[in-house]
Amino acid sequence: MPNHSDTIVIRRGLLRRIPARLEFAGVAVAAVILLGVLPALNAFVPAGSWLHLSDFTINLYGKYLCYAVLAISVDLLWGYTGLLSLGQCLFFSLGGYALGMYLMLMIGKLGQYHSDLPDFMVFLGYPKLPPHWVPFRSFWFAAAAVVWVPGLVATVFGYLAFRSRIRGVYFSILTQALTYAASLMFFRNDLTFGGNNGFTDFKFILGHDLRRASTQRALYLCTGLLLLGTYGLGKWLTATKFGKVQRAVRDSENRVLFSGYATAHFKLFVFVVSAVIAALAGALYVPQVGGINPSEMTPDKSLEAVVWVAVGGRGTLVGPVLGAIGVNALKSWASRAYPDLWLLMLGALFLFVVLFLPGGIVSLPRLIAERIRRGRAAAGARAAATRTEAARTEADSAASRP
Amino acid sequence: MRILARLLGAGLACALAALRLAAAPSDDAAVRPLLTRALLAQGAAQQRLLGELSGSGSRLARDVLTAWTRDEVLLYPAPDGARIPVILEDQQDSQGRARAVRVDTGKRLLDARGSELRFAAGDLDSVDTDMRLRSSIQQALDALTLADPDPDVRRSAAVKLGNSQKPQYLPALRKRLGVEPNAEVRRALDESIALLQLDDPDVAVRVAAIGRLADLGAVGALDRLGRAAAGGPPPVAAAARAAIAVLQRHIATVNFFGTIFRGISLGSILLVVALGLAITFGLMGVINMAHGEMIAVGAYTTYVVQNVFGSGFGFHITLPFSFGGRPIAFGFALPGLNATGGWYESYFLFAIPLSFLAAALAGLVVERAVIRFLYRRPLESLLATWGVSLMMQQLFRMVFGANNVQVNSPSWLLGHFSVHDVEFGYNRVFVIAFALLIVVGTWLLLTRTPLGLLIRAVMQNRDMAACMGVRTERVNMLTFAFGSGLAGLAGAFLSQIGNVGPSLGQNYIVDSFMTVVVGGVGSIVGTVYSAAGIGTADQVLQQATGSPVMGKIVVLGCIILFLQWKPGGLFATRNRNLD
Amino acid sequence: MRSFIRTFAAGALAAALLGASAARAQPKVVKVGVLHSLSGTMAISETSLRDMLLFAFDQINAKGGVMGYKIEPVIVDPRSDWPTFAEKSKQLLEQDKVAVIFGCWTSVSRKYVLPVVEKDNGLLFYPVQYEGEELSKNIFYTAEAVNQQATPAVDYLLQQGKKKFYLIGTDYVYPQTTNLILYKYLLLHGVPVENIGGGLRKGPDGAVISAGKYVPFGHTDFQQIVADIKQFAASGDACVINTINGDSNVPFFKEVVAAGLTPSDCPVVSFSLAEDELRSMPTKDLVGELGCWTYFQSINTPENKAFLADWKSWLSTESYPGVVKEKRAVDSPMVLSYDGAYLWKAAVEAAGSFDVDKVRAVLESGKISFAGPGGKVTFQANHHLTKTVYIGETRANGQFKILKEFPDVVGEPFQLKGLDEKLAAAK
Repeated sequence: MPNHSDTIVIRRGLLRRIPARLEFAGVAVAAVILLGVLPALNAFVPAGSWLHLSDFTINLYGKYLCYAVLAISVDLLWGYTGLLSLGQCLFFSLGGYALGMYLMLMIGKLGQYHSDLPDFMVFLGYPKLPPHWVPFRSFWFAAAAVVWVPGLVATVFGYLAFRSRIRGVYFSILTQALTYAASLMFFRNDLTFGGNNGFTDFKFILGHDLRRASTQRALYLCTGLLLLGTYGLGKWLTATKFGKVQRAVRDSENRVLFSGYATAHFKLFVFVVSAVIAALAGALYVPQVGGINPSEMTPDKSLEAVVWVAVGGRGTLVGPVLGAIGVNALKSWASRAYPDLWLLMLGALFLFVVLFLPGGIVSLPRLIAERIRRGRAAAGARAAATRTEAARTEADSAASRP
Repeated sequence: MRILARLLGAGLACALAALRLAAAPSDDAAVRPLLTRALLAQGAAQQRLLGELSGSGSRLARDVLTAWTRDEVLLYPAPDGARIPVILEDQQDSQGRARAVRVDTGKRLLDARGSELRFAAGDLDSVDTDMRLRSSIQQALDALTLADPDPDVRRSAAVKLGNSQKPQYLPALRKRLGVEPNAEVRRALDESIALLQLDDPDVAVRVAAIGRLADLGAVGALDRLGRAAAGGPPPVAAAARAAIAVLQRHIATVNFFGTIFRGISLGSILLVVALGLAITFGLMGVINMAHGEMIAVGAYTTYVVQNVFGSGFGFHITLPFSFGGRPIAFGFALPGLNATGGWYESYFLFAIPLSFLAAALAGLVVERAVIRFLYRRPLESLLATWGVSLMMQQLFRMVFGANNVQVNSPSWLLGHFSVHDVEFGYNRVFVIAFALLIVVGTWLLLTRTPLGLLIRAVMQNRDMAACMGVRTERVNMLTFAFGSGLAGLAGAFLSQIGNVGPSLGQNYIVDSFMTVVVGGVGSIVGTVYSAAGIGTADQVLQQATGSPVMGKIVVLGCIILFLQWKPGGLFATRNRNLD
Repeated sequence: MRSFIRTFAAGALAAALLGASAARAQPKVVKVGVLHSLSGTMAISETSLRDMLLFAFDQINAKGGVMGYKIEPVIVDPRSDWPTFAEKSKQLLEQDKVAVIFGCWTSVSRKYVLPVVEKDNGLLFYPVQYEGEELSKNIFYTAEAVNQQATPAVDYLLQQGKKKFYLIGTDYVYPQTTNLILYKYLLLHGVPVENIGGGLRKGPDGAVISAGKYVPFGHTDFQQIVADIKQFAASGDACVINTINGDSNVPFFKEVVAAGLTPSDCPVVSFSLAEDELRSMPTKDLVGELGCWTYFQSINTPENKAFLADWKSWLSTESYPGVVKEKRAVDSPMVLSYDGAYLWKAAVEAAGSFDVDKVRAVLESGKISFAGPGGKVTFQANHHLTKTVYIGETRANGQFKILKEFPDVVGEPFQLKGLDEKLAAAK
């Protein structure tokens, strides 16, 4: 059996790749731009001006920010605790479905059939709303469900998995199976969640028309705040003693276990927290994108989120955000510019990052700096060597002088 | 089968009739005048002639009657006032006209000077048919089909007549039963006779017929028996109820054994698909997400080999970049052997080893380029191989197109045989044998060869093996290539039962990982057991829940729970390593 | 961190610039959106539609364009990812300001685009057979409705004396809805419940909410189902209604062939297999299986022959990237895309404007027709087409031999309600 611990590449001081003060300043500036400048450019600058940010762009960034939150949740598990979960998209979608149910009911009589029931129920012949749908008329119930449903699933699954000490690769494969089984469930029409079509054509949220720019802007702001909040939570969590244990579990679970920590509890806690974070991201994703369907919860989507983290830089909180936005922007551009080749590019990028840049984009400045320093040191050493050589020759010649 | 298909290929029917008219084998000579008279007669005489024809068993008669029902038998008004039934040939000239063949002689229709006459479709009137006549013709045709040389055609004709509820077919069926050599067809004839007797006015005959249906295990009669049980006179109803009970027991038995066989065959497929992964993932610890694409390499190799045996294979890619003003393009072409018949169908035998080699080569390249850097970082091997998998899928699209490609199964893999109504498909039997073969081969390689010894040594403790002088790099490379080659073999086989396309591998990747993990990572025997177990469980659950989707979900759920109980799988490999 | 900021700034700038360039569009050019997946799982089917649209645009442009405006296609790739369909349609309408979008294949992608076109008051022409039960004021469905494909096929089978019907499909909305409609339709035509195979599922109140057997996407193991069908068809008067989607058809039919289930015993009529899909099927073993569409490549009319000849010569001369030139088949979704382009052109010219509201009014008037390759098609007030339905059987060369035509079938998207009422009345 090969050694399955995953610790060799992650050297200590991973978090210190970005100087703390610089990171704080950068995040502050980004927050101001994301939460203040961009929405302002969209809301107050007239449409003709070159400074104007279109509704489309705000909406697109809203989507990217949701992905960024999802990426942080993956990183809390993988980068900080060493648990590579391929089930994050399941929790993301569960959150989306929970809010989606509320949004479907808010369509009211504006659907195709002018019925209180969602359209797909009408034409499949449901006489009335199934009981588990009824409480979702309340926004607050739905909002609570966004948290507790994925939380519960994660608790049950995590409890079972960590109790029997499933870890490493097995954990990944098991979460993959869970996601796959869930997506098969949701594809079924019988589950009353719209089958393959899922939910679309939402009209209102809390009485606001979703098609209006101001509603979309508000959702964008919420996402931005959620991202900031998640970032803050991650920062705080990883700085506490809890965070230290968390990283210790990642680096050598057995030592932590033998030191008297119940690692299963730590892992379960992180697993549930990141499931809830992913679910919140999913809940905000759904009204901005305009729908949710089971293909959002396939193992492939989870893998993609893992790749964002890998590309951005795992074990940091800025990395996943950069990765999520960067990879998605690249996809948007490349799939339009090179429809035949973009998958090749994407695959090659993953390979490159895994093989040559294990620390992701965020490690790049440091790597370059190190290379330069090493280069300089080497040059210095060479110069010194030359000088010594010259001195010796001189000494020799001096010595040979009569 | 092929003859039947030809019969149904409506476009060909007319041409065939014309051809056969022209060919005129000797026994057709007697049928021709009869046919001609039937075509030109009216009313009762026509019905009688049709009855006579139906006893002839002649292919010619069948083709002409088929053409008749399609309004393709035309009447040529000869200058002397006679009307000559003709059929147009398929081949048309530039004005859409075709030569005509006479039904009565089988020769081409000539004018007074002896040159061939040509007609377009609308030039001549067709021989009249109406609804009633057409159904009489159909009856005659059905009876004629009972005498077809192909037993499959005869059997399906017998079944059709049996379900027609028309007792007038009884004599024809009985007559055929007297001379029928084939057991399957005899059974179908027997069944049909009994079915037709269900409408007999005599209660005793009906009860006897019901008894015979039960003895024959005539599943197709269930609907009729159900009606008899509900609405017949008491003795008939009682007999029908008894027969239904017998038949349902028969179905249950057939389904039971059928499900076991199907479970084993699905298990063999899982095994074939997962065995390569049991090597690359199980033994080497590489989470090979590109395993599915290795399967696809094997399947595409089969496709290429098939095309080389056929008309050849070539591809051409133009990249959307240009170099010095010229677009970058590359491609190659393999000439075809244009083989036919059995030689063409043997392509699959050549494809099997070649798929192994092609996938092994692909595995070798991937190992050298990517995986050798990742032996100590298994979770990252997952990401890297996923990247490889995306790239390979796109390459397949570029070389073979986004569409699935067409792989024809050799005829010796089509069809089935049945034992007591339990059907065994040739392809399924083949895959079971194939799976056994490669498992035994793999086992022999790992346990009985020097290479196997080295592989096991390196996989158990790479560093120690290196210290003992094993060239671990080379062993890694060969092991990975071997695992990929096995995936390629799986691909060759899957091309025979499923589609071959760029995303072929994606359908099997989750299943393969499950099989290996349930069996116990690192244990080939475990993979065998888990494949058989998952396969059978899947089929049983499918049967029990009545829904393939639910079956699959329940299987996945069971696997997740099973791993709680035995995290190491069925055959956990023990070692002293804590992590 | 700095690069993070820069990404956003650059994005904002780019978006602003794009907006500006859209504002000064060139005169005499009209932008038209093409929204078909060029990568991912749906690329198999949708790439052909893109090619056909490019052909139609070139043909229209060569004849002087639409009201003198040349069509400029804006092609985007939604990557077979449904939310991306919403994003790209928004981009087409809000940034590129296209006059009309031709696109979508799957129902779910259309469901994502629907709110976008309604919000931005755009126009979408949708060309692929679907389950109906939808009518948006901004979508025009050149697609086959259920009564232009499934029910005529059943009519034909009933005429042929078939008494038992086995329903099988992939588990998603189109097969589920179609089979539910067919279930009710069959009941209405006197087929008893026990003669409808595949199983029924009932809702809490006992009403049937799902009929037929369903397999998951990408299913490959059909042994059990084919064995089931074989028992069902033992009486010799059964047929199979197949709404299996995409790839799974290959293993299904290979199993059917291996089990010796021939078309004369039990024909299979498939609603998702057209000439394009048949290219990858072992057609020599499938001779005699049935299909039902509103166009077959084998239609023997001068219009179709001219169309196919033009298409062929266009393929040999065009130079768009990514268009495959060899071994192309033409099928119903492609032709309905083509018809859509011409119908839109006719409507624009009749309205004298690209304005969506005016074009819609003209299209809804019932006067816009086009003599397409599959026969004359006319838009009705309910945004669907009146057109000819063909039943065909497959031949070894991957084409269909046409067995029957149903001329001028009026497309009706809402079937279920009417059937329920008729069934209630029949009781």
